[in-house]
Amino acid sequence: MNNAVNCKLVGLPTILKWLVLSALVFSVRGLAVEVTGLVQLNFVKASEQTSWFDEGTGILAYSKDGAHVQQAFVDLSDSFSNGLSYNLVANYYQLGEQNLGISQAYISYKPLSRSKIRWRGRIGFFYPKLSLENVDSGWLSPFTYTQSAVNSWIGEELRTPGLELSVFSPGRSRNSPISFELHGSLFKANDPLGTVISWRGFALHDRQSLNNDRVPFAAYPSVIAEDRIFHPNYVEPYHELDGNIGFYLGAHIDYYRQSTLRYYYYDNQGDPLAVSHERLYAWRTKFHSLALQHKFDGNTRVVAQWLSGSSVMGTRFVYIDFDAWYIMLSHKYKAHRISLRFDKFKVREDDVFEWDQNNSDGHGYTLAWRYDLNRNWQIGLEQHINENSADIRATLGEDLEVNQQQSLAVLQYRW
Amino acid sequence: MLKLILVFTLFSVSFFVQSNKISVKVLTQERQRVGNVVVYLTPKASKVSAISNKIEIMDQVNTQFSPHILAVQKDTQVRFPNSDSIKHHVYSFSQAKTFELQLYKELQADPLLFSNTGAVELGCNIHDWMLGYIFVVDTPYFGKTDSEGNLTLELPDGDYQLDVWHPRIQDKFSVLSRPLSLPATSDIEIVLSSPLLPDVNQYEDISGEFSDYE
Repeated sequence: MNNAVNCKLVGLPTILKWLVLSALVFSVRGLAVEVTGLVQLNFVKASEQTSWFDEGTGILAYSKDGAHVQQAFVDLSDSFSNGLSYNLVANYYQLGEQNLGISQAYISYKPLSRSKIRWRGRIGFFYPKLSLENVDSGWLSPFTYTQSAVNSWIGEELRTPGLELSVFSPGRSRNSPISFELHGSLFKANDPLGTVISWRGFALHDRQSLNNDRVPFAAYPSVIAEDRIFHPNYVEPYHELDGNIGFYLGAHIDYYRQSTLRYYYYDNQGDPLAVSHERLYAWRTKFHSLALQHKFDGNTRVVAQWLSGSSVMGTRFVYIDFDAWYIMLSHKYKAHRISLRFDKFKVREDDVFEWDQNNSDGHGYTLAWRYDLNRNWQIGLEQHINENSADIRATLGEDLEVNQQQSLAVLQYRW
Repeated sequence: MLKLILVFTLFSVSFFVQSNKISVKVLTQERQRVGNVVVYLTPKASKVSAISNKIEIMDQVNTQFSPHILAVQKDTQVRFPNSDSIKHHVYSFSQAKTFELQLYKELQADPLLFSNTGAVELGCNIHDWMLGYIFVVDTPYFGKTDSEGNLTLELPDGDYQLDVWHPRIQDKFSVLSRPLSLPATSDIEIVLSSPLLPDVNQYEDISGEFSDYE
């Protein structure tokens, strides 16, 4: 723990400012900026277990019944004839520490090409395209409101300020049913990735962390005490702490537009000994992600994803292996969409401190109905139940095993 | 009186210029009928009449070009509306017409003039699976075979050159081209000697809704 290095924010705010400025310059040149957005208002019947947002040990977002702004975002984008485009997503959340901020900001370059093998690139603050669940605008799920454990974690802790280059071959340009894409990225920051699943465990929600966000969790004595790990009971996931460059590699393969398989390997190359002045660590986190989608027809599809990896901080102060997967069936009938998802998630520790307990696991079911009243308005209902267990609750004198359920009624407006 | 003479003259002309109905079938070697084939007959003698100011439509529906193949007469304007709720970026590298067009949702782009004959292959730089064609011909006598592979055309007496085009046909253009004299012929059968390129139109079968985060 004495191997402290200075915490440096990798100029993320500067990058964001630059991107916003570029976006403004582009739009001032007389080209129409496209503004889309969405607001979701909900009424929640919450679980009795207090949420991590309120420093409890529950794994669902809400602690109390009531009405909320579930989320709102504005997406600014435009593309130009030379193949350049930009995208900026600014969000508002009632829940969480940073209520207003940016979840994505990037510039893409995709030159017009007639080649059978083409390339494109993007630079900025963005998600790797490893999810087949988060395919609606703003990286939302069009299927359920409470997202899978896998992508809830991606949304709250993973974002890459970096450069991604992709090579791809559209099958139709080769008269073939098979299309493929290969992606490679180098990025800075995202060093504390892994913190929240090591202590809190996996959770299920739709709260994406914003550009300077802080994800809180319960004040576990083994984490916060000065004679223990001495880490704050929060993580700020996008810090650069060690100067190392992380990378990810991805491959997509599609059969027509019917079946899709996506594999990603992600490694933030964190130096687990690097720690900031506020005692946030760089965690060496790496994982494999495999996602699959098959559309039986235009209306029914199955989507599944499996994530498996590990994370370590300090000299094995905390070491975890994690596995999470889900399978979802979604059916659209006229303006109705019904989706049912099963989630299973597990974190297992193998580290030096017995008093810091990181084992957690659980499974859950989510059933959602969403109905498009028209192009702009949508209503929906969702019921989620789970059984989860976290050994670390013992340090707070709580039962390890908890059953949680949450009901949501949501009114959505998009434009 | 002048009106009467004019009506009489027009009546006489239309009476003496015979209209012929011809039917065209395009078949593979296995005698399977091929649909959506552009068939066009270019008159050998007379100069082709100028086209009207009609504007043709190549729409974007469910992230597909609609129709998949649009045949137009040379010097026709084509409008590219966008019936989707997302943006498209249509382009062509074809010699007959090279262009790129940003199609913002709920905004109308100006129509484009197609003044060179030949095939114009369309793509979308946002949705890579989108593929469409505009085939420009220098004659008013053209059409497409229906899903059963049939086409019926009406045209006046005369000598013509008959040509067919479809992106899956591999036979040489000149091999399939043939002279035609009307009223002598009425039923025309064109049998392809090479197999068709693979059919990948299944790209159009399943909607692209919520396929990827763009």
